[in-house]
Parts: sequence; structure tokens; C-alpha cells
Amino acid sequence: MVVGGFVGVLETKWRTIGIVSRTFAFAISGVPVLVFLFWLHYPVQSLAGVVVDPFYTAALTLTIVNVFAVAGIVRHGIDQLPSQYIETARVCGMPRSRILRRIQFPMVLRYIIPPLLQTQVNMLHLTLFASLISVDEIFRMAQRVNAIVYRPVEVYSALGIFFLMVCLPINGVALYLQNRFSRDISEK
Amino acid sequence: MLRCSRVTKSLGSKTLFADVSITVNPGEITVLTGPSGGGKTTLLRCLSLLDSPDSGIVQLDDRVFDFNERNKHEVGIPYPYLTIVFQQLFLWPHLTNRENILLPLDTCGDAEQEHLSRLVAKFEMANFIDNYPNQSSLGQKQRVALSRALLLNPKYILFDEVTSALDTRRAEFVISELSDLKASGVAILLITHDTAAGKKVGDTFYNLENGSLQLVSQGVHQS
Repeated sequence: MVVGGFVGVLETKWRTIGIVSRTFAFAISGVPVLVFLFWLHYPVQSLAGVVVDPFYTAALTLTIVNVFAVAGIVRHGIDQLPSQYIETARVCGMPRSRILRRIQFPMVLRYIIPPLLQTQVNMLHLTLFASLISVDEIFRMAQRVNAIVYRPVEVYSALGIFFLMVCLPINGVALYLQNRFSRDISEK
Repeated sequence: MLRCSRVTKSLGSKTLFADVSITVNPGEITVLTGPSGGGKTTLLRCLSLLDSPDSGIVQLDDRVFDFNERNKHEVGIPYPYLTIVFQQLFLWPHLTNRENILLPLDTCGDAEQEHLSRLVAKFEMANFIDNYPNQSSLGQKQRVALSRALLLNPKYILFDEVTSALDTRRAEFVISELSDLKASGVAILLITHDTAAGKKVGDTFYNLENGSLQLVSQGVHQS
């Protein structure tokens, strides 16, 4: 998230970085995450002649997808902020650091918090794909347990409850932050 | 003294104004009138160097910004020595009206608080000072934006339609505040459609129409 945020800011500052980053993001968004994961796991490693632990391959895949998703959200949030608010701060003589801290950051934050947290929940769901390249993550463990006890209703229900327990607090935090920082500021 | 000499500004193929010269002197109120869309706000933006003119010279006291020679003009305008109250106001929507007024200040000591209290009383802002801008009417927001600029103690203030949404009585308060500012040596440029209010306090009158600026009258106001 931090790297994605940084890339998003750079995209708005330097046109070249913006073009390169958006091209990558566009290309990645056109490829299903599962295909990208398999592509990094098999053909890339085969071509490079290396064998990487599937855990790291999965982590790298999700990191790349997340970095570009977060960068896109941050860039869009920054672009959405009307420049006149910054201009007004300038003519009021405010130093750049205070404009960033007290005007740009809080205003951009309110634009990006909901999509940012939703993206992180989606990323958590995508971790299940790691099981398909033999990473021992929770879905694969559930499959193994089910293969032994053959109680699919209980096992997969427990898995669903586990995800609910992890995702609901994140959704709760998202809702809290959205209410806390995203007070309706539209003109009445 | 804030002056622009032979300034030209175009938007695309349309020339908004050409070879325009205007001077805003300390201790005077310069009133700029003209039809909507005639380029008054753009001229204000050029004067304050928020926008670069295509050609011409802008001078602020002893600093000269020459736009006739490409890339030769200075940067770094001494805001808020010169400041602007925009027509659209642009109050920061995530801050309360009070925070909007106090945020630009480097320090907020007793003097600033006292100044704010005086403005709150004068502009009758007590019942909405802690509201958010979107909970305030346009007239209330105009008073907040005006207070934000006044608390900065600028030497040059450029006002763009600052009384347009105020009722007569409150417009009078603002006009009297402008008179006080003028008396304290502040240079004021007032863009207005309210010619009656302008005439009450204005010293020099310009009219911008069809891309040319006419000096209508000078030194007419008798305090």
C-alpha cells in the first residue's frame, strides 16, 4: 500500500512515470490475476532458469497487482482534488508543507479511503489463488482437512466464517474511517 | 504599487484583453467593472501572477515581472503580502469556517484571536463560525472568505465580486471595512457589478469591455 501510494503520487508529479505506470497498470488489469500468477510461476521461472518458492511467487504477484491498484486509486484521488483549493492556500501564503498536510492530504484521503480498503479486502480474497500453485495457505489447508475427514459443510463453513472474521473488522474499519473522514462536504 | 503595463492575454484563439494597463495604489480602492465573461477575473489573475500574461509587465512595488521576454520573469510572489478573495471563495470544505480563517496564519496568538473576534462581531458570524462551509449560505461564506483574507494583514487585496451575495446591510459592513483598510494604507482592487457600492468607496474606476480597458474616472471618492 505504501509503495502503491508513493507510485500514485509520483504519477501525478512526473508525466513520464505516469505514462509508464499507467501502461503497466492497463496491461496487468487486462490479465486475470490467476493467469498472471501462473505466468510468473511456470513460464517466467522456466525461461529464467530459476525455481522460486511458490509462497514468494504468490506474494510477488499480489504485491504487483496491489501496487498498481493502490497507485491508480491514489492518482485518481489526487486528480479529483480541485486545484483552486491549493491556489487559495497559496495566495493565503501557506507554506507547501502545510498545504500538503492540512489541505491536500485530508481532502485526498476522503476520496481514497473507501476504494483503498475495499481493494485490500479483495486482495485478501485473492490470496486463495496461491493454493493453486501449492502454497499452503488456508484454503489448501481446508482442502487437506476435508480430504481426511470428508466433512465439506463444516470445513468450508468454518473457512467462510474465518474469512468473515478477518474481513468484517476491515470492513468495519473502512466504514468507521469513511464516516470519520468522509463527512459529506457537497454543497447543499 | 501594483501595476500591469500593456498586458495581453488570450485563451486559445480568443484575445481576452490586449495592451491593458492598470495601477492599484496603496491607500486607494480601484474598482474594475465590465460585463460578465469580459476577462475581469483573468486580469485579476494576471495582476496577482496566478496566470502568466502572454506579454506585458507586472510590477509589484520594486519587483518587476517582465513577460515580454520568455522565461525571464521572476517567480515567488510574496503571498499573502498580496492576496485574493476569489468569486467562488474556495473555502476548504473539510474545515470549519473558523479553521478556514485561522489555518493560513503562521501564529495564532492573542492579537489574531482579538482580530478574529472583532471580525466575527462586525460581520455577524457568531452563529455559523463553527459550521462547515457546506452548512453555510453563500453570503455567510463570503464573509468567512473575506475574514480569512483580512486576518492575514495583506498590503494588497484583490476582491472578485466580494459582496455579490450579501444583503444591503451586510454589504455596507463590508464596504465600511474596505474603507478602514484603505485608510490604513492597503491597496484594494475591487471587481464588482454593484456600481453603487463601488462608487461609495472607489477612487479609480476602470471598465473592461470588448478586450480593452477604459479609465472611467480617477480620484473621485471624497472620504
